[in-house]
Amino acid sequence: MKVTYNWLKDFVDIKIPAAVLAKKLTMAGLEVVSLEEKAGDWVFEIEITSNRPDWLSVMGIAREVAAITNSRLKIKNEILKIKSQITKSPTKLEIKVESKEDCPLYTARIIKDVQVKASPDWMRQRLELVGIRPVNNIVDITNYVLLETGEPLHAFDLDKLMQEDGLQIFIRRARPNEKIITIDAKERILDKDILVIADSRRPIAVAGLMGGKDTEVTEDTKNILLEAAKFSPPLIRKARQKLGVNTESSYRFERDVDIGIVDFASQRAQRLIQEETGAPEVLFKSQPKTIPLKKTKAIRLRTKKISAVLGFEIPFTKTKKILQDLGLKVKTKGKDLNVFIPSFRRDLNKEIDLIEEICRIHGYDFISSTRPSTIAQDIERSVFDLNFLIRDILLSQGLNEVITYSLISQDLLKKCGLDETAIFLANPLSKEVEILRPTLIPSLLTVIAHNLNHRQDLIQIFEIAKRFKVPQKEEYFLAVGLCGIKVRLTSAGRQEEKMSLLHLKGILEILFERLGIRDFGFTATSHSTFCEGRAFSINIEDKKIGMMGEMKPEILAAFDIKNQEVFLLELNLSSLYPLINLSRHFHGLPLYPEVRRDISLMVDINLGVKELRDAIIQSGRPYIKDVRVIDFYTGAHIPKGFKGLTFSCIYQSAERTLEDSEVNSVHQNILQSLEKNFGCQIR
Amino acid sequence: MSDLDITNLKEEIAKSLAEVRTKEELEALQIKYLGRKGVLATLTQGLSTLPVEERPSRGRQINALKQSIINLFNEKLQSFKPQEKKVISFVDIGLPATKQELGRLHPLTQLIREICIIFSRLGFVVVEGPEIETEENNFTGLNIPLEHPSRDAFDTFYLKEQKLLLRSHTSPVQIRVMKARRPPLAVVVPGRVYRPDALDAAHSFMFHQIEGFMVDKNIKFSDLKGVLEVFARAVFGKDIKMRFRPHYFPFTEPSAEVDISCIICKGKGCSVCGRKGWLEILGSGMIHPHVFKYVGIDAEKYMGFAFGMGVERIAMLKYGIDDIRLFFENDLRFLRQF
Ligand SMILES: [Zn+2]
Repeated sequence: MKVTYNWLKDFVDIKIPAAVLAKKLTMAGLEVVSLEEKAGDWVFEIEITSNRPDWLSVMGIAREVAAITNSRLKIKNEILKIKSQITKSPTKLEIKVESKEDCPLYTARIIKDVQVKASPDWMRQRLELVGIRPVNNIVDITNYVLLETGEPLHAFDLDKLMQEDGLQIFIRRARPNEKIITIDAKERILDKDILVIADSRRPIAVAGLMGGKDTEVTEDTKNILLEAAKFSPPLIRKARQKLGVNTESSYRFERDVDIGIVDFASQRAQRLIQEETGAPEVLFKSQPKTIPLKKTKAIRLRTKKISAVLGFEIPFTKTKKILQDLGLKVKTKGKDLNVFIPSFRRDLNKEIDLIEEICRIHGYDFISSTRPSTIAQDIERSVFDLNFLIRDILLSQGLNEVITYSLISQDLLKKCGLDETAIFLANPLSKEVEILRPTLIPSLLTVIAHNLNHRQDLIQIFEIAKRFKVPQKEEYFLAVGLCGIKVRLTSAGRQEEKMSLLHLKGILEILFERLGIRDFGFTATSHSTFCEGRAFSINIEDKKIGMMGEMKPEILAAFDIKNQEVFLLELNLSSLYPLINLSRHFHGLPLYPEVRRDISLMVDINLGVKELRDAIIQSGRPYIKDVRVIDFYTGAHIPKGFKGLTFSCIYQSAERTLEDSEVNSVHQNILQSLEKNFGCQIR
Repeated sequence: MSDLDITNLKEEIAKSLAEVRTKEELEALQIKYLGRKGVLATLTQGLSTLPVEERPSRGRQINALKQSIINLFNEKLQSFKPQEKKVISFVDIGLPATKQELGRLHPLTQLIREICIIFSRLGFVVVEGPEIETEENNFTGLNIPLEHPSRDAFDTFYLKEQKLLLRSHTSPVQIRVMKARRPPLAVVVPGRVYRPDALDAAHSFMFHQIEGFMVDKNIKFSDLKGVLEVFARAVFGKDIKMRFRPHYFPFTEPSAEVDISCIICKGKGCSVCGRKGWLEILGSGMIHPHVFKYVGIDAEKYMGFAFGMGVERIAMLKYGIDDIRLFFENDLRFLRQF
């Protein structure tokens, strides 16, 4: 809403400069977003909150200025003085309102011999300053009065409505597929949710939004019908949304106009038109005949409640004065007040609303700072805490956290070889962001592609975020992505380490170890996103809770990733949380030394390390404590189809130092079993 | 021979050694004491004259004496040897360090953690809520009628099926918590929120909010100011000023927008703060009686405040980031700066 300094001065004495006033308005809740000096005046652009339709007018803002600057509001009666009294006219005018709910008040004035021409300079200038394009004196006056009072007006060319036997105005719902060409020359198709103003033949305006083209005021117009009304706000809102037009009128009707201002605005416009054109003859009709003023509400305001809410005292007299300055009537009731709410303050409904008004005008700067006493609440380890614990474990392994959009495109899923059914938005911004992602993998791949593009050699990333599934399930997921080569310069020189699936495995092992999850494993599987033989499901207690693998080269190619291997992992954290065990139990340190024996062997390349390791533990009882793979090799020194492995077996007893002979005998068992059951060649 | 004699003998040798200037002198002295017919040898031979029971202890004494004398001679001998030149191998400390690369939290997560810790210290607990919400929790319960201009500030993504939506703010968690728990309450809610804003440097269809609220018997508007002052100083520094400015939110009354003195120009006015000297950082107010009524809390008995802030906005101000899209592009060169 734009308003000028001089225009405000028509209604209130202002003794402070515009810049000071702007600050005061901002601190009273009318945020001045810009202040410009123009044509000997100052233009304030004010952001009006949706609860204060009364501020959508010069008079409304003037009322506020009076309250915050301690000056008097002067709404001069002469602005309403009409030159000639309403005369009896031979014109027959009938107003027919279909529903009082849709249109609680409709008034029409007929003004004759109006002489349409350009408006006087002062009016043109004011309109231009606040961003309204001047048209002609009649249209300009309706706009001027709209801005001044907040009541939208509309002028019709009377002769284009008039029929031989007089004029009937209907305020009714549009009929299905009824059409109207509006002032902006667009044809609009109407329906029963849209309220129209019509004569007996056709709609002549979309109520509260815009007039019809063929009844608009032009240079040839001689006589006019001036409409001032109040329409149902939700109805105007619906029509505005359906037709996609937002006008100064609809903006105000949607926020509800003050029924008490409707006729005032109409009279004000009539006087301006008469001043301007000397037009003599006037006919006034309204429906209902007497204007229904809402009953004034009374709100009880307890003095004690004011300080209870605000935390500081405001003197009783000050409280009373603030309310009166705002145009409210106040009656003292003992220590409390009865406050009567005028029709222009429909936002005031409860005691708390009055307390805000008092605080606002008194000044928010006076609010003291106090500290509430703390509230001791139960503390539980929440998902929020667990996610941070997981983040910390991943950070300590050198992974960078990323945050990506939860909304992606169906195409991106397809690009990743996925065809999961996703939740679609009803009103997406674009095809790019139309679904709630059912997996984090495409987003991570996008981040990897971006960073490869910017010449990053090593990308180690993770994200913890919601994953969405039909019908409306949302679960926390963890995704990890690895790509590239880790280069380290040590005293031994440059060392390169290529990212691999085993790096993903390592990240998981450390994660699970820290989370107290022991019973986990990996099983080979196939997956549309991952390479054959390089896709694994991640299981805990034999329940699948995630996937990991190496991305298919053709998918990478679709992301413009060339000559790179990308490894991704996704884990359902919501399934993981209940399995987390953060309790720890201390085991006494071993009293007797451990004995280490290594086994180097050659075995069929397809034999799994896990099976061999399990077999070693099986036959190494009772002294074997741990088995570790300490080396793995294929190639030059090994025949084709075989691989070399070195296991380190740790023997230890809790009761005594093991004799060499005891260890040897168990170790021999192991070697025999490996040879017998797996055909291993011990080296 | 007594203990005293042994001590004297040791002192005597030490004195003689101190006067030795040449290797030859040292050798002569060595023969005198340690030679086959030297002083020590004589002492050892004398053992046989002692009663049998005294022999072992005397023997040990003589051995100890002998060892300490040998040590003294060796020390002296060392002093005649030419000093060996030490070879020092210098480390070029200009070489790149060998280090474990550190993973980093996303700057938004860092800020969320920082803010949640601040409020935790003030006794708030962290609660999260779903991102798919109902109209009741997102709007109606918060005193935002579905068909009302006050809703226009909360443009919302709807799901194709059902009347569900992506929450446009974290405030629905207020409703969830107040329905599930009874006061007193002090809760902070971090999380993702969604609004159909086209992407540009200042707008994003997805961003993060942190909501906070406190409900108890005597919570006042001034308590809100006090708590937010603690917060603002902790995040932006001790010297910043904070002010409340009247505003309208459907779910609070009275409501306030909260500004801090511009961290760039310290309040003088610059391009970042639009020459105002103030930066808006969050919205807040006293929980509206209609919200209490909706969740079944007696508004005559309890009062409460609530506030909500955009994490991206605070991060942009705090770190001087001028494009919100940077947070979601995840360029490692960006992430590594935090
Ligand atoms: Zn500044």
